[in-house]
Amino acid sequence: MARDLAIDLGTANTLVYMKGRGIVLNEPSVIAVNRKSGEVLATGHEAWDMIGRTPSYIVAVRPLRGGAITDFDITERMIRLLLQRVGVSRFTRPKVVICVPSAITEVERRAVTDATRRAGASDAQLIEQPMAAAIGANLPIDEPVGNMIIDIGGGTSETAVISLGGVVALEAVRVGSFDIDATIQSYVRREHGVAIGERTAEEIKIHIGSAEPSPEDQSADIRGRDLVSGLPKTVRLTAEEVRFAIEEPVAAIVMSVKRCLSKAPPELAQDFISRGIYLVGGGGMLRGLADRISRETSVPVLMSSQPLEAVVLGAGHCIENYQSLRGMFMGSRR
Amino acid sequence: MMAMGILTTIFSLCAATCGAVLLVLVFLDFRKTRIDDGISAFRRHIDALSPQARRDSIVRHDDDSNMGRSK
Repeated sequence: MARDLAIDLGTANTLVYMKGRGIVLNEPSVIAVNRKSGEVLATGHEAWDMIGRTPSYIVAVRPLRGGAITDFDITERMIRLLLQRVGVSRFTRPKVVICVPSAITEVERRAVTDATRRAGASDAQLIEQPMAAAIGANLPIDEPVGNMIIDIGGGTSETAVISLGGVVALEAVRVGSFDIDATIQSYVRREHGVAIGERTAEEIKIHIGSAEPSPEDQSADIRGRDLVSGLPKTVRLTAEEVRFAIEEPVAAIVMSVKRCLSKAPPELAQDFISRGIYLVGGGGMLRGLADRISRETSVPVLMSSQPLEAVVLGAGHCIENYQSLRGMFMGSRR
Repeated sequence: MMAMGILTTIFSLCAATCGAVLLVLVFLDFRKTRIDDGISAFRRHIDALSPQARRDSIVRHDDDSNMGRSK
């Protein structure tokens, strides 16, 4: 008998929680495929190392963008490999709960459930990421108080107000940390005439990126390809430049938080001031983002203790209490 | 003979009335059960989200992570 699973199928990373055992897999959502034969060559960390460094016959891709499947066939194969790696065989078909952005369309939902069933699951249920994140971040969502959570992932940012086990207000935008990386890439290209890859852009964001000025602001030397000469070139990038470059996606995220706050009922809104807003997801780890949201909303913003694992832990809790929490799944009657 | 017919009719009417009353009682009881089901299902749902219920799956993970860090 297979152990049931919860999967956080994120744009950036995929995490798998196994019932009774906890998190058993955590790796990038990347798959490397041989273009000629269609064979899968690598997944996860190994495939991530190949991004932008493959010969022409190999393609290392992220099969999800903005939390939605862009390539159904590759996603199905990736899920099948994930299930195999955690011990699922063709004779043991587990129930699977998958975390998806709340903004996905009906067609995208069908694509995720169909891909999971075809990959070997006996039943595939979907749960909204902010709800799973609130459970995983250990917020008191069983009480009649306002809990606000912001989940900033690779492709989407979602803000939800949760009370008494249900979503009261929700706001989602298809802007995430990959959009921040893309704006860094285009800024360096435009202002310095240097082309950099998405991994370099991510490293810039991690090392000197910030959403608010700080005394710890630094600068860094960036290596890329000169667009005019075609030769390798090093340029110096300051934290202020990066902050300017990423302003657009950061502002879009802050605006969505404000919209969610304005949707919240007044009775719950007063709770946020005393309890604060919780931030989860890899994108939420951008330096100064919590301070920026706090400054613009006048509400304290706190970082969850497990920002990267909160979503899968919440979904894992749902798989541990499958019957009691069935109402949380998307498309259920509650 | 005629008296037998009248008695049969009366008994039939009584049986039909009893049957109808029984059906109404069963229906009302069923409805009551459904309402109770909703309350108990909601209670189960809320209880499953309580910090005590989450202790096993989430807090255990926190503890494991902290132990991993301290190693």
